Amino acid sequence: MASFLKFIAVRFAAAFATMLLVSFIVFTLMELVPGNCAERYIAYKTTQGQLITEADIRAEEVRMGLDRPYIERWVKWVSSAIFRFDLGESCLWRVDVTQLIGDKLGISLGLSFAALMLTYVIAIPVGILSASMRDGVLDSSLRVASYLGLALPNFLLALGIMLVSTVFFGDTLTGLFSDEYRDVPWSMAKLGDMLSHAWLPILILGWSATAIQLQTVRALMSDEQGKLYVTAAKARGITGMRLLMCYPARHALGPVINSIGFDLNRIFNDLPIVAAVLALTDAGALLLEALAKSNDQQLAGAIILAMTATIVALNFLTDILLAFIDPRVRKGFF
Amino acid sequence: MALFAAKPIKKEDYYTASQLQLVWARFKKKKSALIAAFCLLFFVLSGVFAPFLSPYAPTAAGRNQDYTNGAPQIPQFCDAKGCSARPFIHKVERHRGVETNFRWVTKQTDKRNYIVLLPKSKPYTMLGIPLSHRLFGVEEGFIHLFGTDATGKDIFSRTLHAIGISLAVGTVGVLISFVLALVIGGVAGYFGGWVDTVLQALMDTVKTTPTIPLFMALAAFIPDEWSAEARFTFISIILGLLGWGTLARRIRTHVLAERNADYVLAAKLCAAKPAHIIMRHLLPSFTSYIIVDLVISFPYMVLAETSLSFIGLGLKDPVNSLGVLLQNVTKVDVLLNYQWYFIPVPIFVAIVLAFVFVGDGLRDAADPYSEHRK
Repeated sequence: MASFLKFIAVRFAAAFATMLLVSFIVFTLMELVPGNCAERYIAYKTTQGQLITEADIRAEEVRMGLDRPYIERWVKWVSSAIFRFDLGESCLWRVDVTQLIGDKLGISLGLSFAALMLTYVIAIPVGILSASMRDGVLDSSLRVASYLGLALPNFLLALGIMLVSTVFFGDTLTGLFSDEYRDVPWSMAKLGDMLSHAWLPILILGWSATAIQLQTVRALMSDEQGKLYVTAAKARGITGMRLLMCYPARHALGPVINSIGFDLNRIFNDLPIVAAVLALTDAGALLLEALAKSNDQQLAGAIILAMTATIVALNFLTDILLAFIDPRVRKGFF
Repeated sequence: MALFAAKPIKKEDYYTASQLQLVWARFKKKKSALIAAFCLLFFVLSGVFAPFLSPYAPTAAGRNQDYTNGAPQIPQFCDAKGCSARPFIHKVERHRGVETNFRWVTKQTDKRNYIVLLPKSKPYTMLGIPLSHRLFGVEEGFIHLFGTDATGKDIFSRTLHAIGISLAVGTVGVLISFVLALVIGGVAGYFGGWVDTVLQALMDTVKTTPTIPLFMALAAFIPDEWSAEARFTFISIILGLLGWGTLARRIRTHVLAERNADYVLAAKLCAAKPAHIIMRHLLPSFTSYIIVDLVISFPYMVLAETSLSFIGLGLKDPVNSLGVLLQNVTKVDVLLNYQWYFIPVPIFVAIVLAFVFVGDGLRDAADPYSEHRK
């Protein structure tokens, strides 16, 4: 047991180190953006008719702590993010980033995890079935679907669905809320309204992850099925579902669990682009706006950091889960 | 030996065949990969020779002001007046009157406009060669096989140029990530120890961060005033910088497995330097895997560029790429009325599919054990 705790501690330390490295990369990127927050804010004030001097910019820099050395500011940024969930102030809106992204990040994570669930709910059973009846109709049509999943990126699929629905049903299927719910506070009715719109983004976000995961599950199952322990189980008279589920499927599950984090990564990748196509109002759209339109480095950095933190946390959890369910991994600890 | 099933070849040919011949023989056997390879060749050629194959320049210079948002014009052999051996399209005419509410509208007439081969055009250059003829055109006016966009630019010409640009971005990106993967993976695998640990941590981090948001953050640095060429170079570099993780890991594993082999020891005893051993002795032992990996990663580069350009952070007009072509299609107006904006989409899906199939075929062909399985 002690060694298992040690395993958890080591994995946690590794995840923490990864997060620090990521935060450093993201922070460096934000630093590299031409111009800093103070200059941008002052530039905004100038457009409002105020006369701004060089001294004002310097004063603003001192107020925001931008005159401190680079490493010191990074440490401050990271530590306040860890200890107080405080990611600084948005350059443009002058409000806390946490407050700005809170709700929208929630929606994004909700959509992403729903897409992730969809991926596994479809990929695991269908992949297992497909492998057990190799070269049948189901199998070959699945292979075509998987290739399409690679070749047709999510946003092209979204465009295609929009095109068809606009031409045939006169509805572009965009947005997450109906007009009457857009700006009202959260309620059951608003949640229901969102869910009735959310199926399309979820489906589209999960599309290529599902296609790739199907391929993986199928390949893993085909590999396992030829192995001796399966033959031995057959010789003992085990057949049908029981044979499939208790023997090859159990072994194939390990690598699948291991890849959950990367699937989430794949889904996050598509978030801003799908948001752009479907006119969603989530963190993906906010990230897009922060980067493409307003150059809001604080906001963009915070969103990327939050996304990566989710992936790292999920990777950490799946590592532990794997140790629990796979005796081969567990063996080393107990 | 079922290897050379097509023609009976002596067994010793199999044993004396070079690596390349063996791979090609195995590759040929897989029909889907072979067909995909021919499609790919076709696309690459049409991308390279786009300036000659397309009837007009893909930029504002080649636009047809009188036919904006125009529908595709399909060449035909027959109309109400009978048939002709030469394909033709119908001429269009600008018209304004009471019945159109005094707005200019484009109307099709029944006058024939025959298609001609190698018409004279404004001088242009292809691969540095100055030319003044295009492959095809019409007797007078314009022909738009795929229709035109909102400013009257020919979508067919833009698509051909976009293929070329997308392939070029992908090639440069793949080359950059290849060099990075070679250096980082090779060093990590060869030296091992703490160097390996640090580089592995770096690879893991790059792999954990969502790539597209990172691409976006990097691409957001591009100042608006940069020229199209500078933008192109920068985007390719970004794609290359973030795409090396998987290949580097694979190279590391190979080098790690091979570095204790006798031939490496022999080279070391001859006082060869690490760089020399990695480049001349270790890497050639799995060149085929590297090539296969590059082909497989190619479509991802192209798609990443498409995504970036689509959201406006990648390439921009006047450079064409699929992403640039698709920038304006999410408007309801376009979705409802101008569906020919979407014609480039199936073409690009076909290109990516061709790459995927060729990559799969190459992977199986390069693996000497693929025949013995199953």
